[in-house]
Amino acid sequence: MYARRRFALLKSLLEYVGIESDRIHFTWISSAEAGKFQEKAKEIVEKVRKLGPAKKLVKDIRPKN
Amino acid sequence: MLKEYTEQIREVAKRLLKDKVVDCVIGYRKGTVPMLDAPYIAYTEEEADNLIWSSFCVSNLAKFLIGRKGKSAIVAQGCISRSIVNLINENQVKRENVYIIGVWSPGMVDRRKVLEKFYDKEILEVEEDGDELIVKGKDFEGKEFEERISKNEVKRDNCFTCMHRNAVIYDEFVGEKGEETGGGNIDNVAAPWEKLSFDERWEAFRETFGSCIRCYACRNVCPLCYCSVCFVDESKPQWCGKTQDEADIFTFHILRAFHCAGRCVDCGACESACPMGIKVRRLTSKLEKDVRELYGYVPGLEIGAKPPLAVYRPDDPENFITP
Amino acid sequence: MVKVLKKDQIESFLSKLKENYELYGPKKKGFEVEWAKLDGSLLFDFKNSSLSPKSFFFPQTECMMHFKNDPNDPEGMIMKPEPELDSKRILFNIRPCDAKAFSLLDKVFMKDEASLDVYWKDKRDKTILIGLGCNNPSPTCFCLSVGCGPFSEEGLDVLAVDLGDRVLFKGITERGKEIISSLDDAEESDIKNAEELKKNAESKITRKVELDNILSKEILEVYEIPLWDRIHETCLNCGACTFYCPTCHCFDIQDEVQGDYGRRVRNWDTCMSWLFTQHASGHNPRGTKKDRVRQRFMHKFKYIPFRLNGEIGCVGCGRCIVRCPVNIDVRDVVNQMNQQLK
Repeated sequence: MYARRRFALLKSLLEYVGIESDRIHFTWISSAEAGKFQEKAKEIVEKVRKLGPAKKLVKDIRPKN
Repeated sequence: MLKEYTEQIREVAKRLLKDKVVDCVIGYRKGTVPMLDAPYIAYTEEEADNLIWSSFCVSNLAKFLIGRKGKSAIVAQGCISRSIVNLINENQVKRENVYIIGVWSPGMVDRRKVLEKFYDKEILEVEEDGDELIVKGKDFEGKEFEERISKNEVKRDNCFTCMHRNAVIYDEFVGEKGEETGGGNIDNVAAPWEKLSFDERWEAFRETFGSCIRCYACRNVCPLCYCSVCFVDESKPQWCGKTQDEADIFTFHILRAFHCAGRCVDCGACESACPMGIKVRRLTSKLEKDVRELYGYVPGLEIGAKPPLAVYRPDDPENFITP
Repeated sequence: MVKVLKKDQIESFLSKLKENYELYGPKKKGFEVEWAKLDGSLLFDFKNSSLSPKSFFFPQTECMMHFKNDPNDPEGMIMKPEPELDSKRILFNIRPCDAKAFSLLDKVFMKDEASLDVYWKDKRDKTILIGLGCNNPSPTCFCLSVGCGPFSEEGLDVLAVDLGDRVLFKGITERGKEIISSLDDAEESDIKNAEELKKNAESKITRKVELDNILSKEILEVYEIPLWDRIHETCLNCGACTFYCPTCHCFDIQDEVQGDYGRRVRNWDTCMSWLFTQHASGHNPRGTKKDRVRQRFMHKFKYIPFRLNGEIGCVGCGRCIVRCPVNIDVRDVVNQMNQQLK
């Protein structure tokens, strides 16, 4: 319940700086809802995959070649 | 008018020090650089004669109350008194150890705005005269100039939209209470990036914060940043890189803004302290707007108020949740 | 060797130099002044750059070496150095105080063979400094009190003087003289003009900083003056003064790892941070704000002169005075230090 408030603010802030909203998800799942967990995980991975690799807020120290 | 405030603050300070009501008085003294008045702590009646009140008092004095022993008096206008309320609510400062000398703020001048106006000259002295500033200096050929500008044009962004110019709590109020608001509407100007697309927002964010040199002036001047070990100083594990890589700089600013969520009173000290002139308030004002709209909470107005992130209501907005 | 160049011929002079060097100079950005690649013109109407040019020799983030943790790769498991600077550079219109700061830092980074800083040396060897004398010092300048001056030549290859419609160049080092050798010789009147400007500039710096007691008394005596109990109270312990200062040179080295690739980076650090002196055991020799603020002033005005034969660790550029968010003025602090040691 406390997390709900914090998460609302965090998602709003990250979207405000330009991170696409489909990259940040929050959902209610209890430890007894294994099926829902699997479903949600697949769904969210699909959504993020559609957006392509993240380019913002990414630190890559490897040389470009 | 501000000269009267100065006189009265000095009187009050001398009285408090003489009667040993407080050990010291925290206020401002005249700076050695135009348009910047410095925080000053006076311990004797003689030193109290250095205290002033002006439109150039841009730090946040509440910071100096943290960890202070004994009883201190502090000169506080609206935003500073709200910071003090915040610190009392978070148990960093005891109410009985602070004697608040309440005062009205005329709205502080953003010195960078004045420097921008005279970008091709050197400003040597700035005086206040009612609603105007008299700017004196020399151009690069050595020719002197003197010009009057309206204070309104060069006020700090947050002072325009201020809703509490008079101190909200005080033990003694100095002078007359002045106009309560700054005249601007915060909802018109907070969060200007909301109108942009995601990529445009990222570009605006990069441009605003890209010149950060990680001096941490913004963090150190903020009275809310009092953690004994800030997250950037953690090394096991390291939360935030220390290099000038973009991702490191942005992580620092996003996380710092988030740590002030629901607590920031928009005093503008972070923006005034930044030596690079970064508009640090772009992030904190967005959070302040969210907290006001989603949870109806304005920080720093009530002693004993519960922090918004430490409580919840069953009907808190849930529209961001993936169903 | 003293030469002169008319200002309308600067562009052709620069384009000839561009064939062999990368050219950098100050550029105005609003009221701030930044260092940028030159595009054909030189800026003369400015006081000093916002950030000092020390990043040309000591970048804020510098990769020192990299490595790959892969025993099967013939290039793996070996620490590889970063490539050296690939082109020679000239910095135009650098102020004499900044140049003196580099000559001071040479004594730190290139003290002897055993402790030679190769990253610093490589960049210094490949960069020529052309300084611009200050005709109009700022009210925050106090270079004369700390062994420098508006027309000081220390650390410069060439000293330029703005004479209005033309620029006088005085060659100081061999490589500096080579750069200006193709220009016309200066007339007697030009040289006299430059002398006048120098005298005028020196008389304009009225604010003095007194150091005689600080330099002559014992270190422990300076350490124990009552000033330190007051001055630290309003300091924010941020790093603004350190990062803007041309002589500050402390850094922190870290290793960063990603997958099987790693690199060792050096970042600017500041003695104003408590983390700077934190030991792994948990002990911190400069654990209080008083210790750290005292350290800053004692390092610049006592420890450095003590270790480097009287060189003062400050060049009087005044950047810290302008950038400090709470206006802790180094001139006031040092004068008070001197007073309290009488």
